Amino acid sequence: MKGLGLGLVVGGWMIAVGGLLATEVMMVRLGVALAGLATSFAGMAALNSAHVERALWKARGH
Amino acid sequence: MRNDWRSLAPALAVLALLVVAAPARAADEAAAGAPAAAEPPAVALTTADLKGITTPSADDLAKGDPGGTLTGSAADIVMADPKAGLTLADVVNQVGQNRIAVNFVWTLVAGFLVMFMQAGFALVETGLCRAKNANHTMMMNFMVYGFGLFAYWVCGFALQMGGCAPSSTLGGANPLNSEHTIAFLGKTWGLFGQHGFFLSGATYDVAVMVLFLFQMVFMDTALTIVTGAAAERWKYAAFAISSVFLGAITYPVFANWAWGGGWLSQLGANFGLGHGYCDFAGSGVVHGVGGITALAVSMIVGPRIGKYTRNGTPNAMPGHDIVIVLTGCFILAFGWFGFNPGSTLAASGNGALRIGSIAVNTMLAGCTGSFGALLYMWMRYGKPDASMTGNGLLAGLVAITAPSGFVSTVGSVIIGFVAGLLVCVSVELVERVLKVDDPVGAISVHGTNGLWGVISVGLFADGTSNYGGSWNGVAGSVTGLFYGGGAGQLVAQFIGVGTLLGFVFALSYMGNWVIDIIVGQRSSAADELEGLDIPEMGALCYPEFVLKPDAFGSGSVKAA
Repeated sequence: MKGLGLGLVVGGWMIAVGGLLATEVMMVRLGVALAGLATSFAGMAALNSAHVERALWKARGH
Repeated sequence: MRNDWRSLAPALAVLALLVVAAPARAADEAAAGAPAAAEPPAVALTTADLKGITTPSADDLAKGDPGGTLTGSAADIVMADPKAGLTLADVVNQVGQNRIAVNFVWTLVAGFLVMFMQAGFALVETGLCRAKNANHTMMMNFMVYGFGLFAYWVCGFALQMGGCAPSSTLGGANPLNSEHTIAFLGKTWGLFGQHGFFLSGATYDVAVMVLFLFQMVFMDTALTIVTGAAAERWKYAAFAISSVFLGAITYPVFANWAWGGGWLSQLGANFGLGHGYCDFAGSGVVHGVGGITALAVSMIVGPRIGKYTRNGTPNAMPGHDIVIVLTGCFILAFGWFGFNPGSTLAASGNGALRIGSIAVNTMLAGCTGSFGALLYMWMRYGKPDASMTGNGLLAGLVAITAPSGFVSTVGSVIIGFVAGLLVCVSVELVERVLKVDDPVGAISVHGTNGLWGVISVGLFADGTSNYGGSWNGVAGSVTGLFYGGGAGQLVAQFIGVGTLLGFVFALSYMGNWVIDIIVGQRSSAADELEGLDIPEMGALCYPEFVLKPDAFGSGSVKAA
């Protein structure tokens, strides 16, 4: 799960930058950049949920 | 119904600001369309003119000059050859050196102000932590200066600025002329600088030293952001190593891409995206990097014991001294006058007189940031929360940092106000949804609003700035979407945000993951419950206080 999350984080960045190389249409670049950001955020959420799953407060109920 | 009104109120306030902004912008445009004044007559100065200049005699000066009308005259101009007398070349050279001297002094004083922000961060973070961890939190903020400075001197500065273009406002800094680049798909991508390690060799240069000092205190600001988010459970040894890693590698590489001539700054020249990634004083480079790294470290370190109940409900863990929190906020707001106006690296020439506008933008955004947070908290919780109002001030300042050199006062008011609302929403999101424990709100103040500040350049840059006629190698002024600049600048800013998330977060996470494996990031549960002052630092911050157990362990209630 952590690996997947980290992969999505980096992948989102690659998508955003890749959009610059793929097209010169500015609105498409904008859309691709936003899609890249969304992917990175999803990755961070996945990574975080992996940490939360094993959180101290869940295990011990402080 | 009443609750509905409360939730809509911030949005209505933003709308009201936009309505106010529209006529102001129209007035600006009308003024811009006014006919230009007649040009002043040309002045042709010759060496012969210098002969008519009289200077105060030594006898006059010996009497004292209480009015200040005699001190400083042609007699003070340095002559290349005293036997030949004062020449036009002497005068011109003195003028040139005076300009650079003004810029040196301005940049250095601005750097000193930014350095003093370390004290502000120390007070804010320590005040928002419990008394049993005050020594530990203070010592992290104190030593992050030393750890960061050393790492930056060894390699950070070289990686960041070693290949930057000559800085004309500082008279050159020409030895910083080697950027490592790669060619990919027909474009050149600058990755990191290669000159300036240990400030040795040709970089033993007066202009380079000024640049180093100014850039170093910026880097250190990014480092100290992380200490707040991970406070009260971060092992001191892990903090030290993590800070060196951030100051030596993560920060400098991203800063190179944005400020050192790297690929982000060249998005305009290479891909036609406005003026490339524009971050005037570091919403992204400094605060974004610090806030994103704070998120990565907080995930790894985990929440404090007692922060969450077993079903995930967060417990409030209030700080121990709101007085030092708000004092720290004031110190930070003061230091920000170095942060933003100082980022011109000049007070003379190349449009640097815009420092007045930049300073006012900074004031206004901080003001409306605190205003936005105060309104949000008052409407949502019924009280004007002090710590969140302080964070609102900082959020406004963080957000205006990137656009401060490119926007009008109206833009700065809106940017700051949105930041004030955003920091409150973000704190709730981080605490309640992500369940990431951030005792001081650093992730929201610096991370969330760092990103907002970066994006706002692409929206609010008004096209009136002129720093030598170009920015990042692209002629003309930085202009955002709302001022007719098209979407190109906005896309460049989003690419910068994507890089902060995809590169900075990933590198910070992996680096701190390795540190976790080697030395362990988190203090022991016993140490955490006792408070980190004795176990980690060997002394209490407040030895004459009696620390009584709280609901989560020991030592958070103070009594004389």
